[in-house]
Amino acid sequence: MKVYLALFKSNMLLTLRDRSVLFFNYGFPLIFFFAFAGLFGGAGNGISYFVGMVLTMGILGNGLWGAGMRAVQDREANILRRFKVTPISPVPILTAAMVSGWLLYLPVVILLLVVAHFAYAMPVPRQWFSLLIMVSLGVCAMRAIGLILAAVTNTMQEAMILTQLFYLPMLILSGATVPSAMLPKWVQTLAEFMPASYLVTGFQGIFFRNQSILDHGPAVGALLITMLVGTFVAAKLFRWEKEEKIGPRNKLWVLAVLAPFLLMGGYRAYTREQLGQNQGFYRDLQRSGAFLIRGARIFVGDGKVIESGSVLVRDGKIAEVYEGPAPEPDALKAELVEGAGKTLLPGLIDVHVHLAAPGGVSSDNADYQPAQSMPRAAAALLYSGVTAARSVGDPEEGVLKLRAEIASGAKLGAQLFVSGPLFTSDPAHGTELLANLPPTVRTALTPQMVRAPKTPEDARRQVRALKKAGVDGFAAILEDGWGDGEVPDRQDLLLARTVTEEARAQGLPSAIHTGNALDVADAVEIGAASIEGGSWRDPLPDTLLDRMASQGVYYDPMLSVTEAYARFYKGDAEALGNSLVQQAVAPRVLNATRGMLASGKAADAAKAALFDQALGQARANLLRVWSAGIPLAVGTGAGYPLVFHGPSLHRELQLWVQAGIPAPVALQAATANAAKLLRAGNRIGSIRKGLDADFLLVDGNPLEDIAATERISLVVYKGERLRRAALFDRK
Amino acid sequence: MDNPIQVEGLRKNYGQVVALRGVDFEVRAGEVFGLLGPNGAGKTTTVEILEGLRSRSGGRVSVLGCDPEVQTKALKDRIGVCLQATRLQDKIKVREAMELFAALYTRTVDCDQLLKRLQLWEKREAQYATLSGGQKQRLALALALLNDPQTLFLDEPSTGLDPQARLEIRDLVLDLRREQRTILLTTHYIEEAEKLCDRVAIVDEGRIIAMGTPREIQDRAAGESTIEIECEAPLEGELPAWRDADKVTLDARRTRVSVVSRRPARSIVDMLKWLDEKGIEPVDIRIKRPSLEDAFIELTGKSLRE
Repeated sequence: MKVYLALFKSNMLLTLRDRSVLFFNYGFPLIFFFAFAGLFGGAGNGISYFVGMVLTMGILGNGLWGAGMRAVQDREANILRRFKVTPISPVPILTAAMVSGWLLYLPVVILLLVVAHFAYAMPVPRQWFSLLIMVSLGVCAMRAIGLILAAVTNTMQEAMILTQLFYLPMLILSGATVPSAMLPKWVQTLAEFMPASYLVTGFQGIFFRNQSILDHGPAVGALLITMLVGTFVAAKLFRWEKEEKIGPRNKLWVLAVLAPFLLMGGYRAYTREQLGQNQGFYRDLQRSGAFLIRGARIFVGDGKVIESGSVLVRDGKIAEVYEGPAPEPDALKAELVEGAGKTLLPGLIDVHVHLAAPGGVSSDNADYQPAQSMPRAAAALLYSGVTAARSVGDPEEGVLKLRAEIASGAKLGAQLFVSGPLFTSDPAHGTELLANLPPTVRTALTPQMVRAPKTPEDARRQVRALKKAGVDGFAAILEDGWGDGEVPDRQDLLLARTVTEEARAQGLPSAIHTGNALDVADAVEIGAASIEGGSWRDPLPDTLLDRMASQGVYYDPMLSVTEAYARFYKGDAEALGNSLVQQAVAPRVLNATRGMLASGKAADAAKAALFDQALGQARANLLRVWSAGIPLAVGTGAGYPLVFHGPSLHRELQLWVQAGIPAPVALQAATANAAKLLRAGNRIGSIRKGLDADFLLVDGNPLEDIAATERISLVVYKGERLRRAALFDRK
Repeated sequence: MDNPIQVEGLRKNYGQVVALRGVDFEVRAGEVFGLLGPNGAGKTTTVEILEGLRSRSGGRVSVLGCDPEVQTKALKDRIGVCLQATRLQDKIKVREAMELFAALYTRTVDCDQLLKRLQLWEKREAQYATLSGGQKQRLALALALLNDPQTLFLDEPSTGLDPQARLEIRDLVLDLRREQRTILLTTHYIEEAEKLCDRVAIVDEGRIIAMGTPREIQDRAAGESTIEIECEAPLEGELPAWRDADKVTLDARRTRVSVVSRRPARSIVDMLKWLDEKGIEPVDIRIKRPSLEDAFIELTGKSLRE
């Protein structure tokens, strides 16, 4: 112990006496920190992105140069040789150097955090213990690598070259100096073979997402193994003097130390999960910082309107809502967004979308591939100011994956709520959208998109399985056929009831798709949380309305679908002329759809008349439902022909207002009410302190002219002012 | 009791190069034993094998009853070593270096005393890089003495130092000799070996070619001394055949006669008797005995400093 302490003390004294070490350990990271903070801007949480980068940079220097090159120097100058004639083994020397190097690095962490906290308002990391562990493992693992590099090189020059070969790529490619998300994808994959990359992502996870080291299990394990194996091998290969040389075969030991990261890199190259992860953390950076939307009319979401107010956004959340005169943005350390003459709405919510269907017809098969069509639809929603949506009847695995990717920031799109496959009869309503697909794709997708239980036990099992898979709710269809065979028979009511009951037992809401008053009555009877589609075939009786009101069942009429069918069978291309539609929908889809309508292939006067009438009935029912005090939510059924993801929500609002619903009621149904239905009212749907900063800033006043919602000036999503044009490519 | 250092048939190869070709010697308790030889003779290799720094290719070695290759750690704890070139970190202070190395031994003497003894007390807060060559070497010796070793290895302790510093180091070694420590010393300074060593082994090309007290080696190398007599007047005519006198020569002025003799005492008596008979007064008489250096040159055929 005496030996360890003496070596440790000597190391500490010598290091603190060495100006270059002090500079590279303490000065260098600080200089870079200020440079990054100045260059990329940012304050608050965003600054921790740079703290993570700079910490990694410091660890690289501390390990590779501080431990590695220093060991080579001591050996090549024959300083170690004097120790060789004393009764000492390499272990205390290596251990003391490891401990002192680690201890000397900790002030860097504290220094950076203090500077970032006081000068840039970075929050104190909640997972400080994980941060400490991550820093410590990083320093020790990198020092172990440094020692191995020292051990396998025979001259100063050789060591210098080899160390640079490790240092420079890690410095530049791991995300320590250039944000990973800005690097080409192949570089991001290459970087996964480098320990430093895991430090960068580890720090960002800890800072941004309050992750703990357990969330970075494999990386932490790999660092630990590197540290232990590295120290062991360094002790084994330890040389005391310049004259001793290492044989070429022993140099292969360097691979033993790198093995954990070769494995990690190989695995990541296969899964490619780092790409999303890098995007996610970069997203966090974009979502950090503060800005003030000043002097706008604010539609709070719950029906309340602030005629002139301001909203302060900080690190992705609504930090404050001010009524009347706005504070100075400089005093709040916030950027200014001028809102005069504009209206600020909570991000719109569409409670009924089919992401996998393109909303029109397309000449490109890719538009029917859920892996491509769903992210595109989610981006189109966001483009249109729809910041959250409930997916209904989309391919289960794909949509759950997309929900996770969007939640992690790996992809940009409307926040998703997934109600999973549709419970229906077999053959079933809900599968007609698949009719255009090749039979093999259809066979593969059907089990992903529908559930057709044969028995109540089946139904229960399926509900439980979906709950386990992570759905946010359930959707079932209770709609009778039209009598012409196009829409199949209604699902057995007992099975539907089993689904809603089991759903309730699992604590999740059920959305029931209906077509007529009987369907609605049955849906209410079996305990639906929301009625999707309502009745467009016959009036809803007063008794039913009373029951709906007392049960608090949400009503979502989806007028867009009815209107779209009427237009579709008429060959009416008016919807395609809408400005927002032209912005949000892929031109090839627009063209193919226009061509299809013009060809007259779909024209069917009888059906057109049927849906014209249906739209009238649906509007009348909506008005009665509203009058009865039943809560309303806006869904569009986007994905049906001529019902385009995003623009359709604006169209739906217009149809509501045309039906006689006051604009504030319609807007509330598309914001606060919808959020409540999705059981997310404490996070989204209103402009209230503490909620997610999801907004739509529009020119004009939609409370007077509902069409103003289409005149989008700015979309804010989780605190990020979106560059809408970059959400998808225009092909 | 066994000798502290015992070496038998020691051999060492560096790959194809043979550094030691069978070296035998022993160092007795309390004596200063010198290994004298030119650079590359194998002195340092021998010492470093004994210190446990290097492995040997053959032969038997015992230091304080330990095999340096086997009981390395135990041995290192008991011996003192002054390497041919000691290098410490530039920024380490004298006192810190002493404390650091002291911590590595199970038994140590008082650092302050040692620093005072080696005249480093004033320099105790100085960084290593600021020390003069002599001070660095004294520190190296101080480090070698930290564990109060009874057996010391001093590898060319005075090489590269200025004459003043060299004298200081020699006085120190004499001090240690008075304290009855066993010292194995290597050097290529003849006068150092003559002055400091009880016994000397001359090493050349990996072999010991002569061993004994400095005096014995001188005698063994060549018994012939040179007698020079300076006279007040020139010596006229034939010179006689003095006993034991070889190679009689006169200088140009015939006032100085020089004689090489195996038994100089007898030759001088004859010469002085002859001069006295001739009535010539001798002004000066010099006898030049063969030096260790002469012995060395004769034994090895090469000069020590080349």
